[in-house]
Amino acid sequence: MKKFTFSIFFLLSLLAMISKGQDGNASVPLEDFNASSLDPEGIPPTPPQRSTIEATLDKTSRMLKSSQLDERIGAAKLLGKYPRYESSLLLISGLDDSSALVRRAALVSLVEHFNNGSPVYEKPLVEKIFSKIGDSDVEIRREASALIPRLAPGLMRSGMEKVQLNGRTVFRSLPGRLRSDLQLLVEEGFLDRDSIVRQNLLKYHFSLRIQIKPQTFCRLLEDEDNAVVLVALDQARIYARQPGVYERMNALTQHKDSGVRSKLAKTALDMGRAFPDYRKILRLLTKDKEDVIATVAAVDLARLGERVSPVMVDRIIDYLVGARGLYGKAETLFFSLSALGADSARVYEALIDHVSATIRAKAWEKHILVSEGWSNSDLWMPSLDDRDLQVRKSALSVLRGRVDEIEVSSLVALIQNPNAEVRVFAAELLLIAEEDVVQDSFFDLLIDPDSLVRSTTLRALANRRSEGWVHLHARSLRDDDYGIQRAAMDGLLSDRKEGVPALLSFVRSHPTKPISSLARKELERMGMKP
Amino acid sequence: MRAFLITLIFLQWGAFLFSETELSPTEIESGAVRIMQLRREGPSRIRYPDALPSLLDLMNERSNANFDPDPLFIDSLTDERLFENPILYINCDELPVFDFSLEENEALRRYMNLGGFVYLDAGIKASFLGTDLGHSYAAWEERTEVREWFTQIFPDKTFTPLPRNHEIFRTFYKGLPDNEYLKLEEEQKRLPDTVLTFVEQEKWPQATYSLVGIKVKDRLTCVASPICAMGWGRDEFGAWIPPISFRIRESAENFDETLQVASFTGQTYEVTREDGLKDEIYLIPGQRPMWVKEPTGRWRIFKYYSGEEISNYAHSFYARLGMNVFLYALLN
Repeated sequence: MKKFTFSIFFLLSLLAMISKGQDGNASVPLEDFNASSLDPEGIPPTPPQRSTIEATLDKTSRMLKSSQLDERIGAAKLLGKYPRYESSLLLISGLDDSSALVRRAALVSLVEHFNNGSPVYEKPLVEKIFSKIGDSDVEIRREASALIPRLAPGLMRSGMEKVQLNGRTVFRSLPGRLRSDLQLLVEEGFLDRDSIVRQNLLKYHFSLRIQIKPQTFCRLLEDEDNAVVLVALDQARIYARQPGVYERMNALTQHKDSGVRSKLAKTALDMGRAFPDYRKILRLLTKDKEDVIATVAAVDLARLGERVSPVMVDRIIDYLVGARGLYGKAETLFFSLSALGADSARVYEALIDHVSATIRAKAWEKHILVSEGWSNSDLWMPSLDDRDLQVRKSALSVLRGRVDEIEVSSLVALIQNPNAEVRVFAAELLLIAEEDVVQDSFFDLLIDPDSLVRSTTLRALANRRSEGWVHLHARSLRDDDYGIQRAAMDGLLSDRKEGVPALLSFVRSHPTKPISSLARKELERMGMKP
Repeated sequence: MRAFLITLIFLQWGAFLFSETELSPTEIESGAVRIMQLRREGPSRIRYPDALPSLLDLMNERSNANFDPDPLFIDSLTDERLFENPILYINCDELPVFDFSLEENEALRRYMNLGGFVYLDAGIKASFLGTDLGHSYAAWEERTEVREWFTQIFPDKTFTPLPRNHEIFRTFYKGLPDNEYLKLEEEQKRLPDTVLTFVEQEKWPQATYSLVGIKVKDRLTCVASPICAMGWGRDEFGAWIPPISFRIRESAENFDETLQVASFTGQTYEVTREDGLKDEIYLIPGQRPMWVKEPTGRWRIFKYYSGEEISNYAHSFYARLGMNVFLYALLN
């Protein structure tokens, strides 16, 4: 019995291999295959052999024409997994199915083809897909309208036509233009019952080279769905000069949704640059009941060159002080403050005690920069006492390289700061401090628990050539910390007269110290013989 | 009631102290809870930078919670600020490697023992997703790297799936977003019919999701989920970003016969299901999964749906789930 079943299996396999195959797959027509017939007793079930792609497509094309609805749906779904021209053609034919379920499945599968790198470019085929924006089924209209960016290259292809003019054959170009019946569908689609379809068409209509009629665009600006209004505002600039658009946008200043009014402020700023009338909308928005919208509008007007009143600056401060963090609208507003010019200084100063560390950090940066506060240590010292590392780092980033004098009391305070990065900064300031201040302070830094503070101090002392520095560096070569040894070596190497002899002496007397091998190389490079 | 409870917890949190550190006066004064996010310095790719701040903002907007919307970024678990804040968020897709020192593991162990909560987003990830980080897939076990990492922290503990009736799924929001929540007209379709049925019955039943967790001292201290952050981001006008599409399992007449013999030249991968059995996923590497053979012997095809309504729905779900997880972390 076993022999018999094996023979059958072998014959079947052989037949499959002989028939047209691809990628080593046998071509077993789907409908001919019956898995249970290959399940001999006592032998583990053999997985059924897979069909070739040609056979699969052949089977699904027949299923797509079946009188059974479920079969047609299944075929339309499966065809999405084979992104190739033949299956796209089959799916396009399925778009005319009497059942919305089949049409949906076919369109979703076509989208899958587009996503998997098998787009359709032939204009008549693309037009067929595009025509589904007028389908009776809302899900199909949604899918088709969302696909517009992928369809546009095919839809808008220009062409060539051959005509007879006065008995002569003439070739003339045909511009890429949407077919007139499809244009009508689009115009109807702008006012589709479904808001997603309206949004999609509004969002992508420009790629179809269609201009919306002014009255239609005005209706979209008044749409009951806020998402549609937001998309319409995105497109408003193109229609700025169309009748009724300004009036509708003006009316939006009273819209109940703050997101829409906020978007209106952004749109009005963009449009206000080219169309001064639209600045009036921003002026109206400065009276908005929501602080964030009023203040954004005021700052936007400042960006267009208008002065912001002190009362409005107070309102900006109130809003930002109340903001929970530097995020979203608060972030937009904060980074627009530079448009206020000198008035911005007052805002930044008000924010340096904000509860949000990110706002404090940015406020300190801006405050020090705008007020040129690096020359006044009383101004910036509190920033380095902040509890948050982010704030201290931000302040240090603007102070480094800018501070050009430091009082002894300030330096002492920095040296006593519990945070290592601040003490590193203190060590850096030794470079610009008076010599007597350096002499009073450097020892505390040299015994700091943080090695970066100690090595920075050594580098500063070497740079200054402070009294006794060579001796100090020579001793530091014996430190346990390699970073300190390295700083000491670098310092000594920078001075040929005193430093290099001291280093030479150390290398000769301590040839096995970790730093000695590197020091020897550096000395040899300088022409010395250690 | 929930709002009241959360207010109460936040008032109590003002006095919340880990045993070893004290909150600074400013922090207590502000009362805001700051979420920490581990983000290594270096070349790692930052995923969804708007996500966590948007979610924190949303929680402040929709509940009486008081979160600082600026996450506190730490680049090492030995950062002393770890012990100043009760919740640590890690997007595992942002970690170039799961390379934690002994000191970091010790710090995390201490943190979790002292009451800290760790949320490992993208801590679940099906192996077939590979380097394409944009997908989420609701497998029911933590990713291998996470398992190996936590074996070093708690050798005697393992991640276990959270049951669908776990409190974490209804801490603040209960159920899937309805039309009112989505700001849709009553008769408007939330989702295409087939998608909605699958979502309600299989993908996210009662707004649950595949979460696995670890308990320390009988307290759920760590939760891992498939990537959720992709659903949290909002732009400054309140619109959701980036767009999200759905992967749906669909069946049809004869699929059980058709799919097992239909042309296929890719690879198969096994993924653990909620019941512990394995799904066999068929896909061509670099492409989206094609179909699945379920352990029951049923074959279903994966279909992909995108669009404004789908994206909005997915964002609403992920944001509500994210809120539930963070608020659960504070309440427990």
